[in-house]
Amino acid sequence: MSETIVKLKTEIERLLNEDVIDVVIAFKQEDSPLRPQPAFFRNVAELEVLEYNSLCQNNLANYLTRFPQDTRIGIVVRGCESRSVNALIVEKQHQRENLYLIGIPCHGIVDIKKIFKKTGEEVTDYSENQDEVTVIVNGKEITFSRKELLHDSCLRCIHPNPVDADILLGDPLPEGDPNIARQEVESIEAMSRDERYAWFRHEAERCIRCYACREACPMCYCTECFVDHTAPRWTESDVSQAGMQAWHIIRAFHQTGRCTSCGACERACPMDIKLTYLTEKLNKDMRELYEFEAGLDSETQPPFASFNLDDKKRFIV
Amino acid sequence: MMHILNKKKLNQILTGWSTKYDIYAPQKVEDYSQFLPLGTADELALNEPHNTRFPPKSFFLPQSETLLKYDHRLKQLKEVVITPKPRIIFGIRPCDAYAVKLLDTVFDTAEYTDPYWKAKRNATLLIGMGCNDPCQTCFCTTVGHGPFNHDGLDALLTECQDNYFIETFTEKGNKLFSDLPAATKDQQRQVQEMQKKAAKSMQPAFDTTNLKQNLNQSFDSKYWAAISESCLGCGICTFLCPTCFCFDIVDEVQRNERIRNWDTCMFRIYSLEASGHNPRPTRKERTRQRIMHKYSYWIDHAGEIGCTGCGRCIRNCPVGLDIRAMLRAVNTFESETVNA
Repeated sequence: MSETIVKLKTEIERLLNEDVIDVVIAFKQEDSPLRPQPAFFRNVAELEVLEYNSLCQNNLANYLTRFPQDTRIGIVVRGCESRSVNALIVEKQHQRENLYLIGIPCHGIVDIKKIFKKTGEEVTDYSENQDEVTVIVNGKEITFSRKELLHDSCLRCIHPNPVDADILLGDPLPEGDPNIARQEVESIEAMSRDERYAWFRHEAERCIRCYACREACPMCYCTECFVDHTAPRWTESDVSQAGMQAWHIIRAFHQTGRCTSCGACERACPMDIKLTYLTEKLNKDMRELYEFEAGLDSETQPPFASFNLDDKKRFIV
Repeated sequence: MMHILNKKKLNQILTGWSTKYDIYAPQKVEDYSQFLPLGTADELALNEPHNTRFPPKSFFLPQSETLLKYDHRLKQLKEVVITPKPRIIFGIRPCDAYAVKLLDTVFDTAEYTDPYWKAKRNATLLIGMGCNDPCQTCFCTTVGHGPFNHDGLDALLTECQDNYFIETFTEKGNKLFSDLPAATKDQQRQVQEMQKKAAKSMQPAFDTTNLKQNLNQSFDSKYWAAISESCLGCGICTFLCPTCFCFDIVDEVQRNERIRNWDTCMFRIYSLEASGHNPRPTRKERTRQRIMHKYSYWIDHAGEIGCTGCGRCIRNCPVGLDIRAMLRAVNTFESETVNA
């Protein structure tokens, strides 16, 4: 058991025993060492299955909006998750005083699909340290450097440390390089218009409209999504070119100034569709045009959600 | 009779068929395999450890299908008549082939026949590829099938070293391979041994003996809320499922078309009624519906479990939910709380 899990378990036990919170959102490992699941701990006895490693691929902030605002929630937050929590507090989806943030500086999420690509899917065990990942395939041990397995979003990560936490488990890590973060978007920006459209079509049109990207996203919490609205309907309902393209564009645009680049959408996609290049472009625009990054604090409204008569950039009114 | 085909001659035989048939076979797309028309991708992906990511039910029930065309101003209606070219689905896994057969109990019954389904079904041959090395996520033997089951197939290939060994089960299937030499008795025995070994390598994933009864008894249990708490409520498990068949019919008025789209009980709006009432308001009811349908209601309607153990829902769940674990839990749950 890693040092982080020991500390995490101790802290969660304390929170539950001292009745600081009602529920803790973390991860558990029950069925397969390769697929840790989001878990909801309400008593200490359940903590046997507690897990924390780099295969924990979901953004736990996603579950905050399922609870009433007066639920006292403890939640494990890595860098992106803590920014998602902040973004949700800004949008009044939960109250900071009812949250207990258990921060963990994040070494990045290991992309299970990258492992499978190298080893095939018959992986029976998994272990890791800060630099290396070891898997057992057909009884054979194979070790990789962690960096070659990290999810693309995590390779681009600028803020691996929680921006807010009530307790921090582990030492803060160095910040990521914004120049690396920009590279993919810049390479797409450098394409011709036709090339860009071909790229977009190749990605969007493999979509099966399962909406896993939406459901995995902490910021997609609308009671009724625009694609589910039937009277009037906003997009074509089927897997036509137009319907799928509309879904991809509008989903991304609704994230403007709200996306924290966690990449949960992309990891959830069953068709390996690249999704973050759209939101990363919007994030880049937000930084360059408005000097804004989502979730860095729990008060600043995203530029498109705020209005100010003294706004310098009066291009709208 | 069992035929033998050298692997190197596979291309030749496929090309031979292609004058008469449209041929679809698993090919690499991104990092997964998908059924595509032969010749559009670089190579066949017949050695993928498991089946295609997208289920082949879509050959008969496309994710979106135009049922009618109309002009609402002229009040004209145009039926869409389906006349598919004869086609061969090559390399379909036994679980997926059986799933298509199961779906016949929905779309082609004595009472109702879906003409869209039926036309495509009649025009299609299913040539299977058995599974020498079933995956960890496969559980076909648990639900009464097997890695070399031929139910629903016209022919089944077994890969053995440099050859494919072919068993045929229908007249049409037999015709495709009748020119090939017969396998020797020794080879046949070797193939059968292999088939048995593959089936034996699969451990039972859960007990189906009292599963339906246990499920029915647990309908109101707290268990469902716990098991669905981490569920995202996306459509992956049902859309990728080879036996899920729910659909929604929508008028795309701007295109003057009536469309049938896949739908899923995992979506909130699936069960939302026009009044605004939703009889399955939360993920708890929706998850329960998915499991109950597969393992209880299918038995009512078709006399067997509506799951062929392909494992797609397990491999692709973004939160790592495992239907086998859910069902094991249902079985133990019954004994703990049946009198509670």
